[in-house]
Amino acid sequence: MKKSPKNLVRRCPRLGNPVPFHYCEICGDEQQPCFKILDCWWEYFDVVQYLRDNLPEAQFNHLMGARPKPKVASLLELIEKAKTSQDR
Amino acid sequence: METKKVFLTEDEIPRQWYNVLADIKMNPPLGPDGNPVSPDMLAPVFPMNLIEQEVSSERWIDIPEDILRVYTIWRPSPLVRAYALEKALDTPARIYYKYEGVSPPGSHKPNTAVAQAYYNKEFGIKRLTTETGAGQWGSALAFACSQFGLECKVYMVRISFDQKPYRKTMMATWGANCVASPSTETKAGRQILEQNPDTPGSLGIAISEAIEAAVTDESGQTRYSLGSVLNHVMLHQTVIGLEAKKQMEKIGEYPDVIIGCAGGGSNFAGLAFPFVYDKFNGKDIAIHPVEPAACPTMTRAPFAYDHGDTIGMTPLLAMHSLGHTFIPPPMHAGGLRYHGMAPTVSQLIVEGVMEPKAYGQMDTYEAGMLVAKTEGFISAPETNHAIACVIDLARKAKEEGKEKVILFNFSGHGLIDLGAYEQFLAGNLADYEYPAKEIEDAEKVLEQYPKPKIIKSR
Repeated sequence: MKKSPKNLVRRCPRLGNPVPFHYCEICGDEQQPCFKILDCWWEYFDVVQYLRDNLPEAQFNHLMGARPKPKVASLLELIEKAKTSQDR
Repeated sequence: METKKVFLTEDEIPRQWYNVLADIKMNPPLGPDGNPVSPDMLAPVFPMNLIEQEVSSERWIDIPEDILRVYTIWRPSPLVRAYALEKALDTPARIYYKYEGVSPPGSHKPNTAVAQAYYNKEFGIKRLTTETGAGQWGSALAFACSQFGLECKVYMVRISFDQKPYRKTMMATWGANCVASPSTETKAGRQILEQNPDTPGSLGIAISEAIEAAVTDESGQTRYSLGSVLNHVMLHQTVIGLEAKKQMEKIGEYPDVIIGCAGGGSNFAGLAFPFVYDKFNGKDIAIHPVEPAACPTMTRAPFAYDHGDTIGMTPLLAMHSLGHTFIPPPMHAGGLRYHGMAPTVSQLIVEGVMEPKAYGQMDTYEAGMLVAKTEGFISAPETNHAIACVIDLARKAKEEGKEKVILFNFSGHGLIDLGAYEQFLAGNLADYEYPAKEIEDAEKVLEQYPKPKIIKSR
């Protein structure tokens, strides 16, 4: 039987402290996997196959195709979101 | 006795920062309409004096006296000759490091946190908000705000908040209000908590909360603060390299090689940019930003425009990136994501002014262990990337019989980050090098992307 990777622990380069793998599965936008999940975990196990097996196909494809957001662009998006939220 | 540390007196602290934007031409960040992002679009989160610095092309920018006064708490930081490391490596190279771990929070981060707090205060701002993960940036901003009498609100990712009690205590000691994110204090936080009361949080949520708190303050007296990537952050960090130049001059040395770890790029840029200026003016010097081998976004990825979203409604920014459509084969999954490198650093790599290096995590921890056992200081895990490169080049210098002078940025101590060392010591880490062929395949995918015009500054 395959061992679950969920409790494997490594240092998160974004946060700067250790996190279990299952945190990386939910800490991205909309509680989706983190955009760095492949970068961080490929050294430990076949994370791509794991995600292929455990995510709905559309979600898996979305993760694989996700494009990075430049910082300035992210800031502008968040400013707009905060303003919109305030207006409601 | 040999001189181990080179000090400057307080009146020798540089009076100006160096702005690399005076000496390079950049592809501007673009809006959805293809036009550059205008400065006032950032006004809800940054004061205009910092936005002016963000877009300034003046080469030298005066450091206000009030900032220098705070800098003197730990600056000038020492330049240290790593004799014991040299001896352990049996290298003819002379290795120096600029030790930034002497700042109150223990890293280079306050160099910009202090400046940002000052400029916000000058602009009439009373309160700063920010997000933090494990707390390095939050601590730096808390310290800086305490020096200028500003309120500081830090949204710390819940999982880190629970793991790192000393960081939140540090922030509280400096008078900052640090809450776990998601919090009940913002709409963004409440929305997440309603869906999942036990959520461990994320950096994305914490940033949303910090920005919302700044943007929705009707008094207009709150702004947001960011500790990496942006041009004004790089600018403030150049005090590191400017001091180092003076220190090396005092002992009649000049570096052949400059090395710094590059996550967002700020500690690397801080040391390197003043030497980039020298390189532009004819100095023969090798400059290496160092990244994890697992994320070869700088070392191998092409330079392309990346869309912020799938329908092109958000700005475009020229950055190093791998193609979004590239799907890694199983077992070859590393190195596929942009990791937020500063645009100025990206540009200098494209121009060939800098040559990035990448090292696997085992190399980096082994490097950190060697430095701890020789030079004594336990380095931050990110600093270990720079040290791995130093050791590599010092060994090459031995092979070639060259007396190279190597200077690196010891960006922070690792005393509040020992969990990472614990993982290494427990044997839980392993390395994998991303195959060059897979990167070539990614480059083919990127052929369909709009390419920025490669601007050469020289």
